[in-house]
Amino acid sequence: MTASTKPGKLAVRAYQVGFGDCLLLSFAYPDRERHVLVDFGSSGLPENAGAGLIKRVANDIADRCHGKLDAVVVSHRHLDHLSGFATSNNPKRPAPGDVIRSLRPAVVVQPWTEDPDAATDATKPTAILHRKLAFVAGLGAMQGFAESLLRELHLLRRTMGKRLADQLAFVGEQNLKNLPAVQNLMTMAQDTQAYVHFGSRSGLESVLPGVKVRVLGPPTVEQSDEIRRERDTDENEFWHLLGADGRAVATRGHGTFRRAASWPAGTVPRHARWFKRRLAAVRSDALLELVRALDEAMNNTSVILLFEAGGKKFLFPGDAQIENWAYALSRPDVCQQLRDVLLYKVGHHGSLNATPKSLWALFRNRSPSPRPGRLQTILSTKAGKHGSSQNKTEVPRKPLVHELQSQSDLFTTQSLSAKTLYRDFEFEL
Amino acid sequence: MATPLSPRTRTLTVIAQDPSVLRPDGNILTARVEVPAERLAPGPWGHRVHVIDYDASTGRLYRPRTDAADRDPYEHVRDASRLLDDPCFHAQNCYAVAMSTLARFERALGRRVSWGFSGHQLKVAPHAFLDANAFYSRRDEALMFGWFHSDTGPVYACLSHDVVAHETTHAVLDGLRERYTDPSSPDQAAFHEGFADVVALLSVFAMPEVVAVALGARPGPRRDVLPRSALTPDALRRSALLGLAEQMGRQLQNVRGAALRRSALLEPDRRLYRAPEYLEPHRRGELLVAAMMNAFVQVWAARLEALREIQRGCLDRERVVQEGADVADRLLTTAIRALDYAPPVDLQFGDYLRGLLAADREDQPDDRRYLCRDALERTFRAYGIDPAAETSAAGRRSWLLRPGGVDVEGTHFASMQHEPDEVFRFVWQNRELLELSDDAYTRVLSVRPCTRVAGDGFVLHETVAEYVQILDLQPDELRSLGIRRPAGMPDDLSVTLYGGGVLVFDEYGRLKLHVSKSVRDAEEQSVRLAYLAAHGGLRGPGARRFSALHRRRNLARIERPAERW
Ligand SMILES: [Zn+2]
Ligand SMILES: [Zn+2]
Repeated sequence: MTASTKPGKLAVRAYQVGFGDCLLLSFAYPDRERHVLVDFGSSGLPENAGAGLIKRVANDIADRCHGKLDAVVVSHRHLDHLSGFATSNNPKRPAPGDVIRSLRPAVVVQPWTEDPDAATDATKPTAILHRKLAFVAGLGAMQGFAESLLRELHLLRRTMGKRLADQLAFVGEQNLKNLPAVQNLMTMAQDTQAYVHFGSRSGLESVLPGVKVRVLGPPTVEQSDEIRRERDTDENEFWHLLGADGRAVATRGHGTFRRAASWPAGTVPRHARWFKRRLAAVRSDALLELVRALDEAMNNTSVILLFEAGGKKFLFPGDAQIENWAYALSRPDVCQQLRDVLLYKVGHHGSLNATPKSLWALFRNRSPSPRPGRLQTILSTKAGKHGSSQNKTEVPRKPLVHELQSQSDLFTTQSLSAKTLYRDFEFEL
Repeated sequence: MATPLSPRTRTLTVIAQDPSVLRPDGNILTARVEVPAERLAPGPWGHRVHVIDYDASTGRLYRPRTDAADRDPYEHVRDASRLLDDPCFHAQNCYAVAMSTLARFERALGRRVSWGFSGHQLKVAPHAFLDANAFYSRRDEALMFGWFHSDTGPVYACLSHDVVAHETTHAVLDGLRERYTDPSSPDQAAFHEGFADVVALLSVFAMPEVVAVALGARPGPRRDVLPRSALTPDALRRSALLGLAEQMGRQLQNVRGAALRRSALLEPDRRLYRAPEYLEPHRRGELLVAAMMNAFVQVWAARLEALREIQRGCLDRERVVQEGADVADRLLTTAIRALDYAPPVDLQFGDYLRGLLAADREDQPDDRRYLCRDALERTFRAYGIDPAAETSAAGRRSWLLRPGGVDVEGTHFASMQHEPDEVFRFVWQNRELLELSDDAYTRVLSVRPCTRVAGDGFVLHETVAEYVQILDLQPDELRSLGIRRPAGMPDDLSVTLYGGGVLVFDEYGRLKLHVSKSVRDAEEQSVRLAYLAAHGGLRGPGARRFSALHRRRNLARIERPAERW
């Protein structure tokens, strides 16, 4: 391999976007730098950030890469990873997504679940294609459910606490369809739209010579089956029932039994009042449970990329949680490859099961005290948006943050002042 | 039949299994169930069950019928849409199935049964929300059934006999054994689910209408007879168990799981009980269901062998159906009575099997007629569940039959039948004999006199009392008791150990049986703590446990607490 086909340095720029991810990887080759943007979105801006933050980040990306991106990786379809790709209809006031589009990335990498042709692979038996299709349709149904949930939330708001309502709204909005951004990404790549899965090519081979990029997730339907023996209740079918289309949308006064007699709104007989309140509370809790479940399912479509250059390894798992990781971690060869990771982008903003303990235990570069070659961790997050410490589901999860702090060089975007846009990390390769 | 069978009961029309199970003429298969006669208020609103038809997703509160206090307005309705489109029929359906399930428990146990909360009336919401879920909630004193749209129209969980019976069983079992929802072992976590399915399915098979449909209508000249080749245990497994499973509404599979289908398809294998995938509560519960339903077809087939042929090689179809329903009903009684012989805490499937065998022996001292005991023991063992030993590994007597040396000094027979304080005095006086722990908190949970009719027609009077022992410990105290401290257990976490027992007194007030789990059984407590530590259960269960449990079944989620922070 000649010197010009190998990078000598990697710079990672972690932007402060609040609750979301935005990371720019710049590989320095002898002739020029090559830039890969990994995710760009936010669903909760940092305090005092000002409304134009995402646009400022987009402009900074444009500056940093001198008007040309080599690749964009979008780990999964959540708002906090792709809201920055949304375009505007107004050419005079371009949105962040228009800025990124103007950087003409050669390659766009997304999970296989985003592939519009997911179910037309002629080499696969129809049963598997059918399952694949059902899986993708299930994701669509979940987003349909998120929509109807937000409508129902509007009705229930009065009967529930503000904290619960905020949680529901936050997770619900995360899971909406985000169409402008999704459509922008579908047509953005100059050369290659890569839809990847565990073990597939990453699509980055042509733009990053001399860098090995392994795809460790998401697993395909068949791969998931390998580690799961029994399946007779089907999650996709469940989501299909709850939200396949607008029929499931519940609105006050409509639903089932249109002609049946019911009490006029506001005239609840005394004997039913206690129970009516309880049932409303049960419903709010159930909605939260459902929306969390669908949030997790979407997180588990995250692309997990392991970059290796000059013998150093950099791990970007998006929001993958344990169910996504389970397949990769079931393979001894992959566990071996993960041992000497040098940089770990903390999964899912530091939630309780997106840095599986068995993954964390593999990292050999952990150490209780600073030393050269110590594991570097980057946590892009904003506390108080997701989960609650009462249920031990807060994001970022405190015991995890404590572990990251004591065993690695932890950087969290929350440590930046309101005026600081990013922090750079450099690695000699 | 418009007049009640007897003045103590009345009959109400229900959907026999669910709206997908049809009569040969294509109408929905309905049945009439017997419920205790009572003066109902509109709801229906009775002394134990109160239907409140509020839908939290749409904000509608449906009005109940006001004209149905003592009649069955749906007796002659054949038109499916008049049943499906009328929320008041749904309300009646829930009321009748819940009430008949409760009555079934009371009949088997020979005493009144309380719900798992302090009130008397279980609230039932037939259309609680738009969700493919149904559950019992102790905190809300209620059963809640969801509804949802499918490609073929709306689907209502409250119209499925097995779903309503399942949820009612959770509520009844919670009243009988309040500590079975404690975090303990994979078996105890699975028991509520498996037992609820067992009761639901046996209740359904105890209806001859359903058995007839499950066996499938054979058109043609020989429709009144069945060949012997169709009546072997294996053939019945395929025709009756799988047959009904296939007819059940498919859309409800997310709500009810697939226990019946699996009980027909799951080949017996002793390794399953120890297999990692059978540690998930809903999966593990299916083992219990499979063992029970296979015992059902075994006993049924054995009974048919003894029947006279009406043609060469053929049995009367009607008779085959009736035998099936009888056997299901008998096993249901045994399944319920076994609870009285099961320890009140830390239940293992083997303890329950031992209880089943004891309940059956009590009822039918001679097993030659029904062959139930033999079939139960065989099928449970075939799935890896062996009856619990009478002495635990640590040498404690967990099954003490008619012990000598009982001290009854100062206790009064009459009070012993209903007063917890009197029974506590008995427990305290005999703490050595009963092998109780001195330093644990001890409480008598219930004392219930029962009147049961045994299989031979004799009336049996017994008193059943239940007590628990609770020991709160700091992690560093475990070692002195010989209990292994699980790896990674935080120092600041106090641990609670449970023990307890059931005391059965005969009609003369003599202690007949003591079934117990010792709070100081080092081996069993070590195993329990290790399991809880590995499964995140040391800090206790969340509220609305059944909602969460059923949701995991919905989504086929596997819990991996060891991977969490
Ligand atoms: Zn995210
Ligand atoms: Zn259940």
